[in-house]
Amino acid sequence: MIEFRLESRSGIAPYLQIVQQVKHALRLGMLRTGDQLPTVKEVVGSIAINPNTVLKAYRELEHEGLVEGRPGVGTFVLKGLDGPPPQAHAALRRSLLRWIRTAIDAGLDYDSVEALFDSTFRESAEEEIA
Amino acid sequence: MNALEASGLSKRYGKHWALENCAFELPSGSIAGLVGPNGAGKTTLLHIAVGLLEPTRGSLRILGERPGAAQVLPRVGFVAQDTPLYKGFKVSEMISFGAHMNVGFDMEFARSRIARLEIPPDQKAGSLSGGQRAQVGLALALAKRPEILLLDEPLASLDPLARREFLQTLMEGVADTGVTVVLSSHLLTDLERVCDHMMVLARGRFRLIGDTADIIKTHKVLIGPKERVGSISGVSNVLHQSTTDRQATLLVRTDGPIIDPSWMVNQVSLEDVVLAYLDSRSTSADAVPDLHAVEEVAR
Amino acid sequence: MIWVAWRQHRTLMLWGAVAVAAMTLFLIPTGIGMSHFFTSSGLARCLSTVGADCGDLGQQFDSRYSGYAFLVPLFLMAPVLFGMFFGAPLIAREMDGGTYRLAWTQGVSRPRWLSTKLAVVIGSALVGAIALALLVTWWSRPLITNGASRFRPGIFDLRGVVPIAYTIFAVMLGVAIGTLIKKTLPAVGVTLVAFAGVRVGIELFLRQHYMTAKTLTQSLISSKGPPGAGAADWIIRENTIDRLGHIVSSGRGPDFGYLAARCPALAAAGPFPKFATAVPGQADPFAACVQHLGLRDMIVYQPASRFWTFQWIEFGIFIALAIGLAVFTVWRTKRLS
Repeated sequence: MIEFRLESRSGIAPYLQIVQQVKHALRLGMLRTGDQLPTVKEVVGSIAINPNTVLKAYRELEHEGLVEGRPGVGTFVLKGLDGPPPQAHAALRRSLLRWIRTAIDAGLDYDSVEALFDSTFRESAEEEIA
Repeated sequence: MNALEASGLSKRYGKHWALENCAFELPSGSIAGLVGPNGAGKTTLLHIAVGLLEPTRGSLRILGERPGAAQVLPRVGFVAQDTPLYKGFKVSEMISFGAHMNVGFDMEFARSRIARLEIPPDQKAGSLSGGQRAQVGLALALAKRPEILLLDEPLASLDPLARREFLQTLMEGVADTGVTVVLSSHLLTDLERVCDHMMVLARGRFRLIGDTADIIKTHKVLIGPKERVGSISGVSNVLHQSTTDRQATLLVRTDGPIIDPSWMVNQVSLEDVVLAYLDSRSTSADAVPDLHAVEEVAR
Repeated sequence: MIWVAWRQHRTLMLWGAVAVAAMTLFLIPTGIGMSHFFTSSGLARCLSTVGADCGDLGQQFDSRYSGYAFLVPLFLMAPVLFGMFFGAPLIAREMDGGTYRLAWTQGVSRPRWLSTKLAVVIGSALVGAIALALLVTWWSRPLITNGASRFRPGIFDLRGVVPIAYTIFAVMLGVAIGTLIKKTLPAVGVTLVAFAGVRVGIELFLRQHYMTAKTLTQSLISSKGPPGAGAADWIIRENTIDRLGHIVSSGRGPDFGYLAARCPALAAAGPFPKFATAVPGQADPFAACVQHLGLRDMIVYQPASRFWTFQWIEFGIFIALAIGLAVFTVWRTKRLS
């Protein structure tokens, strides 16, 4: 059974953290097709968070087609997630380094680069969900 | 329907106004945190909501009814500050008390909850620890199967473990029944993870009311050169400003994206925002920003 | 809700029962002893014989049982003790201890909560009060028959139905005071003072006026009490009046100084016991003076036959007061915060 953790200062919306943790578990095979996700009651009973947060996360996962909620029974995994192919990682790394160098050349310092990346990343993640 | 609704609510003790012109709407199913320093008027507000106090002016409606009315008392759960219990009663007798005072009291629920928390039913209520008392109070209130639950500083005298256990129990209760919750506190950290609504009260007036996620989204910390302080596109309100000889740090409320490159935009924590509003120089009630998605009808 | 009221006050009621039981354990053996001696000494038969002089037997009985006089103030205290310990803490303790925040946010309205608690508390006080009233009435019967007037202030309060009304009033008074003084100990103290004030006020100033008192005038010179006003009646006051009806002195018989100033013959004879019996053959200067001045004894009294009327009137007054206090208490409790 998967257990969740909430990082209150991470700046990432709580429900997104849950979505991410489920996806992470799917990718690594800790959750497989047919497994039942913990009930809302179980989740909030172990980490004291707002039940709506859990509901929102499960709804989002259902919207993405990863899980299915069966009324009166629970929420079950529909399909797994494959990680990206290994070559993708290397290519992404290279293009990221290039971007960082471009930003430094433009005059930003490392802290500004990080802040820019952070805020853009967050915007993008939330936009995708919206 | 709104679980709780107030308009022009004011309460005076002698010359001192404990609450002044308070107005808010709390949708059903919310978990609201009522935050403010000691003496802000949190207990006064809660006592009015459960019919222990009469307002001096204005009105408050709970579940659409007048507070303390016979038809609404059984639907409201309340635990007062420091969880008053009858010290000479055993825990099992407190449960009987609940059953005799409330039609529809779920004795089995109360008993199983007490058992799960390993609180001995034969122990006198007066000799329970702070955490145990709070849990007994919560169990009694939840066993009423209320539609709204009001808790006055339930975490105040609890150690961190007891606080966590209390919130776990509370959240399970909400997951079970969808009960609306208002809990007051002067500590923010516990409320952050649990509340989806914030009501910030200081010196009898509301400073900030709204959905927690909205609050975080619409407030930012901007860091930039002191000279650039002025009208910034995307900023509707500067709540807090601190400057050195070169640099200014602003906590702002936004109404659009901040694209001005001179400003570094940082995420803000709920605590930062709340503190900024509590500290706000502005004392006019009109300055209270309401961040509900629904437009407020002018009162 | 009845269970709640019972459970909350169960210790109190236990102590009340213990106190009443203790009193019973004292009263029954002593009462039996007194009653036995009353008969065996012949006093009972004497008093039931018309015209008999039971003075000596009565004295003997009185001196043997005069020690029980201390009990009278104790029994007079019983109603106010109920008021102080059953009544005053009822609401004051909930306010004091903050538990009103628990009690008044359950599913029971405040008026219903209050009336249930009142019913339980007054009900149990009533049981104790009735038991005591019956016991004391039975116990004191020989004393009464021997001449202590049951109509007298002090004795009147312990017999019949008024102790029950006092108890109900005292408890209601305590509860009402508890809603005004929201702290237990001060409420208890004020209840004592307030109750005493009301009781003393009514007893000393109001009671004699329930019905217009009878007035009787008679000769100052006679051996025993006349048929008009006797030991069983309630003598409110006794004065000596002159021929014109003016009051000359209080109590039975005039001052020597008053007489001496008006009767030279008496002044010469010197002070004397007021009720000197005439010595045959010798002129009684006292009697002569009294006759000459036309002095008479005037008694204002309530006849013994009115005892029960007065009991019910006073009962009614205290019950009415209790009802008024109950209405006030319910009103006040609804608005308490």
